[in-house]
Amino acid sequence: MTDHKHSPAKDEASAPPASPFMSMFETFRSELDEHHDRRERIIKASRDITALSKKMIFSLQRVRTLSTPLPPSVTKENNSRQSQITDLFKSIVPDLQVINAWRYQRQISPSIQEYIEAISFQHYLSNQTLITFTEAQHQLPPGISLTEDDYLLGLFDLVGELMRFAITSMATHGTLPRGPKPSKQDDGGQEEGNDILTDLRSLRSGFEGLDTTSSGKDWTPLKRDVGKKMEVMRSCVEKVEGAMYGMIVRGRERPKGWVPDLGGGEGREVESY
Amino acid sequence: MASAAVFEQLQLKLDEDSQIREDIRNVVQTLERQARSAESILTRFHSIPQANIGPTLTEAWEAIQAQRETLAQLNQLASKHPYYKYNQMWSRRMESVSFHLVFYGFLCSHVEGFDGPQGMLYTIEEVSDILAVPFNLKDQDAFHLTIEEYLLSLILLIDELARLAINSVTLGDYQVPLRISQFVKDLHAGFQVLNLKNDILRKRSDSIKYSVKKIEEVVYDLSLRNLIP
Repeated sequence: MTDHKHSPAKDEASAPPASPFMSMFETFRSELDEHHDRRERIIKASRDITALSKKMIFSLQRVRTLSTPLPPSVTKENNSRQSQITDLFKSIVPDLQVINAWRYQRQISPSIQEYIEAISFQHYLSNQTLITFTEAQHQLPPGISLTEDDYLLGLFDLVGELMRFAITSMATHGTLPRGPKPSKQDDGGQEEGNDILTDLRSLRSGFEGLDTTSSGKDWTPLKRDVGKKMEVMRSCVEKVEGAMYGMIVRGRERPKGWVPDLGGGEGREVESY
Repeated sequence: MASAAVFEQLQLKLDEDSQIREDIRNVVQTLERQARSAESILTRFHSIPQANIGPTLTEAWEAIQAQRETLAQLNQLASKHPYYKYNQMWSRRMESVSFHLVFYGFLCSHVEGFDGPQGMLYTIEEVSDILAVPFNLKDQDAFHLTIEEYLLSLILLIDELARLAINSVTLGDYQVPLRISQFVKDLHAGFQVLNLKNDILRKRSDSIKYSVKKIEEVVYDLSLRNLIP
């Protein structure tokens, strides 16, 4: 390597008027333009996917039962949205190959998280189980990889949806949503399925047990988001607990259509950044 | 709802990730230390007359070589993982070692007896070649020097040369600002052809025009007083 020490540059240019570096910078320009174009395309698709996922969630919030097949109207709407989302994802697959798979993470992440929130909610309503990482990955077209971070952050947001679902159900039916008796296997001899609060608490316990800080002082995107979302998740679970308390204590005096005060701290704004 | 398995799986992945970060951080810390000692050598050029920079250039070259060896370790480690997942951990280091090299190259081209063009700029190919690190990889997910990192190192170079222009006058060397002036103008022209979006390159490149102005003022002061032909 020492032969580089005093070796001349390969720049042939010595003509004073034009900058001798121009051709190099022109190469850079086209490379950077390519990068910016890719980035723009991804941001656009990402916004559309987020919007469609939110619509899926709105539809799901109209469902009133747990662990039963979704109403056909909801299924129809959401199937069509999901296929639009799949198409949008497919449209940016070429932009997210090889080295670029992680390059645009910051641009694509919000939409993947929103989509995970939607499909995990749908999965919960139909099965009363938590969608696994592998199941979630299968809901994305090939070429779009799901990161553990996005999966986890999407699940945090699921808690918010479950809270809304639980509160609405309590306000309209006066009961906490509860799954049907597990029919296939008669283990435990349960009278009926778990209620949603049990599931919320089990989720909370899972989240609380996660150690996301072991990577030292280093800034990671995950750490930043987990801190915020952990707070929101806790308050969501507590809102359902509070509503449950209110229902037990004052249940019979409750006027029809009563909705507990959700306060301003719902924290929906942290969902996307 | 059985969620324990899901969270266990997630924790495994989180632990794996933090182990990788720790390994990378160890190497990056070595690089940081080496970069600091390189900076301390490079800053001495502001107080050495051009005629006597030879020995310090040799020291600077050695400081760059030390970083090159650590980069080889980083390359080996980082290439096992998606490049853009961890690159923010070392991006500043790439930028700074590239700056050390382009500054070194510029100084070399002014040493008596140098047979290349004055105001030499190591191209990204040359930087990549000397550091033994590939550049601008597109079809392969591995460690490399990015165009952005190289361009940011040129911005550091321009800032440094604005300082050198002033200090060389203090040392009584009136030719150096002229060479710097031409070189920085050429670089500035290069930056102007880029379509910069609102990103770090855009923000950092704002300083170029101030450096250009600073250097022009030095040249103006010298010519006003007939200190340069």
